[in-house]
Amino acid sequence: MGAVTASRNSGVADQRFDLGKPVGIGLVIAAMLPLVIMPLLSVFIFGMKEGPVHFWKVLSAPAALFSIKLSLLTSSVATVCNVLFGLLAAYVLSKYDFAGSSALMIIISLPTAIPTAVAGFALLLLWGKYGLIGYYLERYTDFEVMFTTAAIILANIFVTFPLAFGVIKPALDNFDRSYEDAAETMGASRWQTFFYVVLPSLRGALVTGALLTFARSIGEFGSTIMVSGNLAMKTQTAPLYIFTKFNEGDVEGANAIAVVLAVISFAVFSLIILFRNRLER
Amino acid sequence: MAREVMVTLFPETQAFAERRPEARAALSVSHLTKRFGDELVLDDVSFSVDEGESLVLLGPSGSGKSTTLRLIAGLESPDSGQVVIGGKRVDEVSARARNVGVIFQHYALFPGMTVAENIGFGLKIRRVKAKQRQPVIDRLLDLIGLADQREKYPWQISGGQAQRVAIARALAYEPEVLLFDESFSALDPQTRVPLRREIRALLRKLRVPALFITHDQEEAMELGDHVAILNRGRLEQIGSPSEIYNDPQTEFVATFLGAANVLEGKWQDGLIHLDSDRYLAPVSSVPPLTDGERVKVIFRPEDVSLGSATGLIETPYHLGRGEITDVGFTGASETLTVRLLTYGQSGNLLVPRAETGRNGLSSLNNNAPAEFVIKALRTKWEARKLRLRVGDRVTVGLKAYKALRA
Repeated sequence: MGAVTASRNSGVADQRFDLGKPVGIGLVIAAMLPLVIMPLLSVFIFGMKEGPVHFWKVLSAPAALFSIKLSLLTSSVATVCNVLFGLLAAYVLSKYDFAGSSALMIIISLPTAIPTAVAGFALLLLWGKYGLIGYYLERYTDFEVMFTTAAIILANIFVTFPLAFGVIKPALDNFDRSYEDAAETMGASRWQTFFYVVLPSLRGALVTGALLTFARSIGEFGSTIMVSGNLAMKTQTAPLYIFTKFNEGDVEGANAIAVVLAVISFAVFSLIILFRNRLER
Repeated sequence: MAREVMVTLFPETQAFAERRPEARAALSVSHLTKRFGDELVLDDVSFSVDEGESLVLLGPSGSGKSTTLRLIAGLESPDSGQVVIGGKRVDEVSARARNVGVIFQHYALFPGMTVAENIGFGLKIRRVKAKQRQPVIDRLLDLIGLADQREKYPWQISGGQAQRVAIARALAYEPEVLLFDESFSALDPQTRVPLRREIRALLRKLRVPALFITHDQEEAMELGDHVAILNRGRLEQIGSPSEIYNDPQTEFVATFLGAANVLEGKWQDGLIHLDSDRYLAPVSSVPPLTDGERVKVIFRPEDVSLGSATGLIETPYHLGRGEITDVGFTGASETLTVRLLTYGQSGNLLVPRAETGRNGLSSLNNNAPAEFVIKALRTKWEARKLRLRVGDRVTVGLKAYKALRA
């Protein structure tokens, strides 16, 4: 009697062999194959087709190496700027309450919502030869902002603007005010409190914010292609190099840099995930 | 001694004390008032703490005690009133310059620093060189008995140890006064009691003045040389633990500290009438009253004496006959709930009807019998002398009571 009842009431999930598990996992992988996994594999397979020596030869073309160096440089500068700004903005918005603070937060977060081509175009409209400021710059100074490395950095700063802020602000919001109160009653000045008490607790958020900004920035294309002028050996970043080489028909050249970019991005994102897990501790 | 008592209980004499430095209070607040939005959180609060003395601010949640501490520390500014620390007015002075030591509820030990670094922090930001910091840190670690924990981080030590570190950290820069913000409430009861005795002894030894904030009345009685009761932003009474307990000035103080019975009566012809047949002779501490004025009669369970129904009782005051409705046994003592019985017009013993509202008052207006229910406390030995069970009739007497204007 008991055995009959048990089998009648037990559902599929109660049985020792759950069909859902292999089927579910299989479906997920099957969907990912043509959409994600195979495209990525193609980059590596094609890149290694002629062997590692040939791969290295293509990779060490001066324009190729320059594009990687330029990408690393512009992304690093943009990262440093946005992390510093993110820290400042997060501290001010978290500590002080003022009219317009929520509006300010929305404006800070806006850049990620704007299409990158639009962002690049906007920068041109400001700094370009006929731009709002650029017009006067061109007439009265030797200063050129557009089609320089500075332009790339400006574009990168714009599109990755809120990323570090978005990580640092919650960390500051969660920060226990009583630590600051304790430091203050012990005689610490605002700076001393910030440096000795607040900053050390933000280490994780700062690193994660920096990694996120860097990862996003190194792959930036839409805005860069508009403001940089895409001059090889001068203002051509790695993504631009891939695009240009492909258009010229040099698939091998494009492929080599694509592999490098993919590897760098993987490495950075893996660091981010590793760090996040350690932070959850 | 008299001067110290005066300065503590009557802050107006602060000016007088300031002229004589040896009697200077370590901390005094006068007429502190604070509003948060529409809410009046502190209403004209004044008290002081002498050198080497500890004062406890006791009150329920929301009574304004934490706000008072924050005002003293300088983390908030009062709307009006002044704070004087070490003889100097500090109203305009920022928290960092007030030289107070605060022990927060969860201790706020800096997580990225070791125990030793935490203790040395106050000196480090005062630009004391590491070589000179070390001996101070060592001395304090020995004082709190945690020399072997110096390299540990705050998450590696227990709550009791953390509180000791918090105290050492504050003592390192020799503050004028230590402020404890409900710092024992995060500990389990086993740790709490011995730790607070230890801290009390330590503060006494160092002669460091301290202000404790708590809602735990047992803790207040043990920690404070004086206790100040706060209720909804007002200071109800301030005095030694025994004064507060035995001589409460308001009903709140009487009922907040320990159990209290409260009956209401009417003053008439020199007596307190509780109902048509029951009256109390006045205690010596009765305030001046006019005929017809309402009076509150407050007494503690241990002030009640119970005798057999037919016997006489040798207490100064009498409450007539009663019936036991509940007996609670707590080991060393016995708490009995007694319903006082009254006589009807015909003189028979009646069980009274239940009245709505406060004990007694409505019945005075319409001459209906009143229902008074009180709690009595007897020791184990008293209980053995006269065993009582639910339903037993008793004679109820009072050893003492307190009369307050209603």
